[in-house]
Amino acid sequence: MNAAIVTDSTADIPRDVRERLGIDMIPLKVHFGEQSYLDNVDLQPAQFYEKLKASSELPKTSQPSPADFYEVFSRHVQAGRPVISIHLSSAFSGTYQSALLAKSMLEGEGDVTVIDSKSASYGFGMLAVEAAEMARRGASVRDIVDRIERMRKETKLYFLVDTLEYLHKGGRIGKASALFGTLLNIKPILTIDDEGVITPLDKARGQKRAFARIAEMLEAEFGANPLQLTAVVTPGDTAMADELIGMLQQRFDIRRFFRSEIGPVIGTHAGPGTVGLFVRSASLDGQETGA
Amino acid sequence: MTRRSLNGADWSAMVLAGSDHLARHAEQVNELNVFPVPDGDTGTNMSMTMKAGAEELRRKPQSEIGRAAEVLSKGLLMGARGNSGVILSQLFRGFAQAVAGQRELTVPLFAAGLQQGVDTAYKSVVKPVEGTILTVAREAARHGVALARRTADIGEWMQQVRDKAAETLARTPDMLPVLKQVGVVDSGGQGLVYLYEGFAAYLRSGASAPESGREGGAHVSGAGGRSADFRAASGALAPGSSAAVRQSAQSKIDTESIRFPYDMEFFIRKTASASSRFSEAAFRKELEKDGDSIILIDDGDIVKVHVHSRRPGDVLNAALAYGELTNLHILNMRDQHRDLLRPADERPRAETEPERPGAWGEALGVEAASGVPAVEDPFGADRLPPGQAPHPNAYEIAAFGIVAVSAGEGNGKLLRSLGVDVVINGGQSMNPSTEDLLEAIRSLSVEHVFVLPNNANVLMAAEQAAGLSDRPVTVIPTRSVPQGLAAMFAFREEDSASLNKERMLRAIDRVATGQITRAVRDTRMDGVDIRSGQYIGIKDKSIVAADDDLGEACRKLLADLIAAGDEVVTILTGEGAEESVTEELLAWLEDRYPEAEIERHEGGQPLYPYWFMIESD
Repeated sequence: MNAAIVTDSTADIPRDVRERLGIDMIPLKVHFGEQSYLDNVDLQPAQFYEKLKASSELPKTSQPSPADFYEVFSRHVQAGRPVISIHLSSAFSGTYQSALLAKSMLEGEGDVTVIDSKSASYGFGMLAVEAAEMARRGASVRDIVDRIERMRKETKLYFLVDTLEYLHKGGRIGKASALFGTLLNIKPILTIDDEGVITPLDKARGQKRAFARIAEMLEAEFGANPLQLTAVVTPGDTAMADELIGMLQQRFDIRRFFRSEIGPVIGTHAGPGTVGLFVRSASLDGQETGA
Repeated sequence: MTRRSLNGADWSAMVLAGSDHLARHAEQVNELNVFPVPDGDTGTNMSMTMKAGAEELRRKPQSEIGRAAEVLSKGLLMGARGNSGVILSQLFRGFAQAVAGQRELTVPLFAAGLQQGVDTAYKSVVKPVEGTILTVAREAARHGVALARRTADIGEWMQQVRDKAAETLARTPDMLPVLKQVGVVDSGGQGLVYLYEGFAAYLRSGASAPESGREGGAHVSGAGGRSADFRAASGALAPGSSAAVRQSAQSKIDTESIRFPYDMEFFIRKTASASSRFSEAAFRKELEKDGDSIILIDDGDIVKVHVHSRRPGDVLNAALAYGELTNLHILNMRDQHRDLLRPADERPRAETEPERPGAWGEALGVEAASGVPAVEDPFGADRLPPGQAPHPNAYEIAAFGIVAVSAGEGNGKLLRSLGVDVVINGGQSMNPSTEDLLEAIRSLSVEHVFVLPNNANVLMAAEQAAGLSDRPVTVIPTRSVPQGLAAMFAFREEDSASLNKERMLRAIDRVATGQITRAVRDTRMDGVDIRSGQYIGIKDKSIVAADDDLGEACRKLLADLIAAGDEVVTILTGEGAEESVTEELLAWLEDRYPEAEIERHEGGQPLYPYWFMIESD
């Protein structure tokens, strides 16, 4: 029987894509004061950034409980479907731990594979999408897991935040902590390393030089190869992101392009004005990673 | 009063008299500043350096001349401030080496001491500039050596040495064009003349030099004549010369850390064909590949070569391309150094012993406390999994520490925010001493220290401190706070020291520094007429603007600094900046350079209302 694909709300997969491919999404939670919302379910990105602007204090986020996962996993297990559950880097959240606990509660009852993507946002959203497409074609769990592991390694992530303030406050700043507190305008170019931890690749003085630096790094990594580019952007003022994406589209041979929005939970930790780029060589396969 | 010899006590009294005489004239030396800017401080630097040496002599009186000279040398070494102060300390270091082990000082020995001092000072300077304190010291020493056989009376001899120094000083404007342009004699040279004058007066009368009245601004007092033509002065090594001390306090250096162990000296007798194609710059470059302390004197037919190298064979082969080699001297400095270390009482002073409390333990303690960010768990249940350190580097010993010299509270904060560990306040009107820098270096429990002097006149003291440190120190020759900031932007904790050095050096090349201050006298420089009290704009090393209006001077300077239009322009406001002028300037910049990225920060530096930092790609 075809595998069921489960992920969490921080994969930032657009709702229509998720529904079309039948991906199960377990939401994290966002709390503004006493008010709690389900990430990307009853709080959509655009709404969230409006609330964030109006709020005097930072919202809090919380991981799903093991019971949330258990409910979904057991439904599939009872139907005899193997489960592949792909999640936000365990360096950022206990979501993966919750999923693991749920899996252990079903020990011996069925085939559940829980994957720590060591990535965030559409960086693992694209893995879930690929897994779902393979599952629909009847691929085995093993093939799917191998493929998305390879895909994760082939995909380079570069992201820019408007300020390190949010990553710092949330304790997710990782190896970029050395750059925090800089009084002069330094734009760190960040990535998530193999351990799933945020790491600066470089830093540049001012936005323009940061963009130029990203283009240089892409060139060094991919040369003139055709590329697949996925961009995730926080809604609202996207002028900076638009400029960056426009520059890349002009400079590189981008065969496939997909753009998505950064949802509330990731937005809480990265802050408004964040843009993430997931780049892969387009010649690696004919598969689309997005919609 | 006739004296044929001096013991340690006599000589010490002479030094104190010289130091006092110099101190009385420090202000006059300060005024001998090439740039009409308010921060001339050669006199203060030399005087404070000399005082530090004299103080050491007072604390540890010695009856033998060898010992007294050594005590003075150490005091000067630690107290050295500014480039002239460092050179002064090197003059007396050479002197101390020449008289080591002697009980009494006679004229020939004194002369030999001056000569060795000059040799030592020249060797310590990467690019010696003629028409400075170095030239004055050299000519005086040469004269002293020539006279030594004929003159037995030390007082008489010293007077003649002093006269020769004054005469040479009067000629410095002919040797260094910038002095002539401004109409002054060299300030460091003037300081040395005052010092020798104090020595001579003491030796001849047995008392300190009488207070000589100011002579209409021309500070080459007494004989020397021509000095009155000149309104005296300059920074001995004016902003721009990249003099740097490479070797110092041998006894405190680990023998194996001598990177270029072969001290080579020889002459190239150029062949006819080589005469035309010999290029000093090219040959120097060749030597620099694997050597330092390079001195090349091209005398037409003959080139004098001095270099410390790792590969003497390569040096000789390179030289052979130009002609025959004569008078070859090659010494292994590691051998010399081992010899130096042999006698137990010659061991490094206790204060230079590492005082680091177990570096590991301390680093662990500090890092453990600060490594985990104090987050008041703002994320409810969404905690990091147990055992997951949010900062994987939290428990590693710090590889690098950074010491920077800066002026102004705001500038210090900016530097700290970029990762500087210790900010030494000073640099503009008060240069830190070698000891101040050394203390800052020692205060860091790290593997490797970078020093950013951020001022041309702190460079040599920084190099001297680096030489005295018991751990690796790299001095990045930053000449301004903007250069220091640029170096810090390029710094990456995770890279190696050599890679960081390379990145920082490249970064300081990509930044232009603009400074606005008020002229302290009328002059004409770099083609700009300047009146006292006007605002002047200095681009790196030259004056490009002068105007009565602060805003206009800023605009002229910025127009000169901004080339492409898309640079990052950072304004650092200092004492004397005006809010309305700053606002106008920001509006003007945005309007005229729409592609530029503009930042403004409160720097707080004295004397300079504005510093500008212009970064290009």
